[in-house]
Amino acid sequence: MHSDWSQAKVQFGTLYRVFLLRVVDLEVLSAGGDPTRLIRQFVTIFTTVSFLLILPALVFLVFGGGMPMEAKWMYEHFLIETAMTVAGLVALLNWDAAFPDKRDILILGPLPVRTSTLFLAKVAALLVAPGLAAIALNIFVGVLWPLFFRSSSASFLGALRAWPAYWITFLLASAFSVFTILALQGLAANLLPRQFFLRVSGFLQAAVMSLLVSVYFLEPMLESPAALTSPQNQRLLEFLPSYWFLAVFNQLNGSAHPALAPLAKRGWISIAVAAFAATAALLLSYSRIMRRLVEEPDILPRAHSISWSPQWGNPLTQAITFFSLRTLLRSRQHRMMLGFYLGLGVSCAVGYANAYLGGFRSAGTTMSVSFLLVTIVTTILTVFSLRVVASLPISLSANWVIRITQIRPARDYQKAVRISWLALGLAPPLLLMAAILVAAYPWAPALGHFLVMLCLGILLVELCLYTFPKIPFTCSYLPGKAQIDFVFWACLMLIFRLLNEGAEIESRMLRHVLNCTGLILIAAIAAGAMRWLSESRASSTEDLLFEEEYSSEVTSLKLN
Amino acid sequence: MLEVRNLHKRYSGIPAVDAVSFVARAGEVTGYLGANGSGKSTTMKMATGLIEPNAGEILFEGRRIKENLMAYRQRMGYVPEEPHLYTHLSGLEYLVMVAQLRNMDRTSANMRIHGLLRLFGIHGDRDVALSSYSKGMRQKILLSAALMHNPDVVLLDEPFSGLDVGSALILRSLIKELAARGKIVLFSSHELETVERVCSHVVILHRGKVVADDSIERLRVLMAAPTLEEIFSQLAVEQDSEAVSREIADLIRA
Repeated sequence: MHSDWSQAKVQFGTLYRVFLLRVVDLEVLSAGGDPTRLIRQFVTIFTTVSFLLILPALVFLVFGGGMPMEAKWMYEHFLIETAMTVAGLVALLNWDAAFPDKRDILILGPLPVRTSTLFLAKVAALLVAPGLAAIALNIFVGVLWPLFFRSSSASFLGALRAWPAYWITFLLASAFSVFTILALQGLAANLLPRQFFLRVSGFLQAAVMSLLVSVYFLEPMLESPAALTSPQNQRLLEFLPSYWFLAVFNQLNGSAHPALAPLAKRGWISIAVAAFAATAALLLSYSRIMRRLVEEPDILPRAHSISWSPQWGNPLTQAITFFSLRTLLRSRQHRMMLGFYLGLGVSCAVGYANAYLGGFRSAGTTMSVSFLLVTIVTTILTVFSLRVVASLPISLSANWVIRITQIRPARDYQKAVRISWLALGLAPPLLLMAAILVAAYPWAPALGHFLVMLCLGILLVELCLYTFPKIPFTCSYLPGKAQIDFVFWACLMLIFRLLNEGAEIESRMLRHVLNCTGLILIAAIAAGAMRWLSESRASSTEDLLFEEEYSSEVTSLKLN
Repeated sequence: MLEVRNLHKRYSGIPAVDAVSFVARAGEVTGYLGANGSGKSTTMKMATGLIEPNAGEILFEGRRIKENLMAYRQRMGYVPEEPHLYTHLSGLEYLVMVAQLRNMDRTSANMRIHGLLRLFGIHGDRDVALSSYSKGMRQKILLSAALMHNPDVVLLDEPFSGLDVGSALILRSLIKELAARGKIVLFSSHELETVERVCSHVVILHRGKVVADDSIERLRVLMAAPTLEEIFSQLAVEQDSEAVSREIADLIRA
């Protein structure tokens, strides 16, 4: 009995480590890349966000003064909602690792490993990543903010309740997000036919991600007793879990307002239901799917699909464009990352426009600054996201075929990449924008804005190509080398401010034909200049890059 | 003619290929043999231009391949040891992509791709993702990708890996046919019986060094051994296979 237990313990530890590492796709890493460095990067991001989130609390601490109840509720709600969203997003990254796959069955099936050990190791590994993310996010927040959340009528000891209340609530709220996602996935896996589930699973994951991001940015602000008790908001509140956990926190903190009681009850019930549903779905999946996976044929005949292959130019451009398009459509990892950047950015822009620019109403023939801002952000983000996603490889070991078929100079590949990026990164937002412009605005400013966006898009594509002597999705990834995405997110609010200024200038210039023409000319010249720069650089590039390496660092000892 | 001259390749100071020289002629199949880790695949990769030798050179038609690697690649087909493919693509999509990368004419490429898929018996699965393919099916895709542009140099690194009996027989005849049509075929394999049937000339590698480079007939006479297996055992196998197998059986019983 004892030896059985020890064996199960060792097996659990081994499997747990294996499953945990699957969160990071090690195959994308460059030879010099270190997985722990990648994980550290993520933890650092969350910890930095945690530090930024305590800045308002520091202001309150320095300048003193009590915080009104509405403000307290607003901050409490914001922090709970942030923790839920982050835990949910990290759980979504684990989507593929949640259930056993054929590889698990083929490798572990012949070994004397109990299904229960496999199941527990998988569950433990699944919970650790969102748990770590949530803890990193609250590392500063969870120490300082509860100081302001304590009940005003509480004694000193009573006031101490705020800390455990906060940590319990954010853990429960994060767990609710994770359990709900697992339950949803498990439900779909068990109810839908296996092949259909595999086909729709990626879309389901993307839909949940979009829902999480849009709820986070577009959720109405109801953090006042009046809003929470208003009969017209009751139906809405039934669908907004972050408010349930706001109520749970206040209940645990001893500062519950009567308006929050029904929501707190809903919160407790929902976490219990989500935990039960997730456990049941996982158990059911392990008992049913594992058997089905073994019996599944290795290859299923597939009806010949209609092949539509538009001509993008020469065969090289065709090859690179279709390779990029298929990778984006079929690789869940790439699709998720593209969706994440795009969804987050556009939601931020819409939220910013709603909060600071008074929405999307336009006055007569004048285009609203909000619309201009959102279209500028969308254009920038689509190109930028494609650049970020394209730097993650799909399969390094398969790159040999591109190397041995390289029968043209590197600059020809860059030309092909340019066309593929214009087609995949710039054409879709421009087409969407053109449809809205034609439907909603007079032709002159609409055409003006469209041309400005076209030049901006070309400029950005050229800017991205300037430092990209690669074929998209084929070069290894080196954590920490490209800091541009982190800098971008860190400066997001500042960038919005600048883009807002830009949108206002454009709005003014679009009103006069001469100014509008001038603006288009300036944008076209900038795009042309950037193209000249990137082409000059490409013509001096000899080889395509397939392996990222840290740049050598030379340290001068200054001895002379 | 493909000539390998005094080729050296070291990994962290350890020689993987050590002063290897041989010639693969047009119209004959050159067998390249050696135990695991003897340096066969490393030589093959250097012959494709995928990795650079530390010293030595490879010449094609008397010119260093490095001088015009792109022109050489245009005339070379390669089947790697491991079937690494972009598994998110279907078999057909993969082959079309390779044809486009090789700048092949669209009509001719389509005709050849569909023909090869039909002849290899995988045309019905052409739209299935490569991730679902068996090892043998992936091998057929690799062979199609290596041959569809009618290369003059064919480098085959373990091409029989995973193939069923029927396909292996076809490939065996195909290798001979390619050589008969004047192509240079460099063929690495562990299947000595196949090598004996297919190759006119063999190069045997041991610990990165060439230990034999001659026709099979001459090697038989020189080594006084009736089969290639015996020749290979004498030159490249250090262990007594029966003794090792006994030791393994004893070890797992202990």
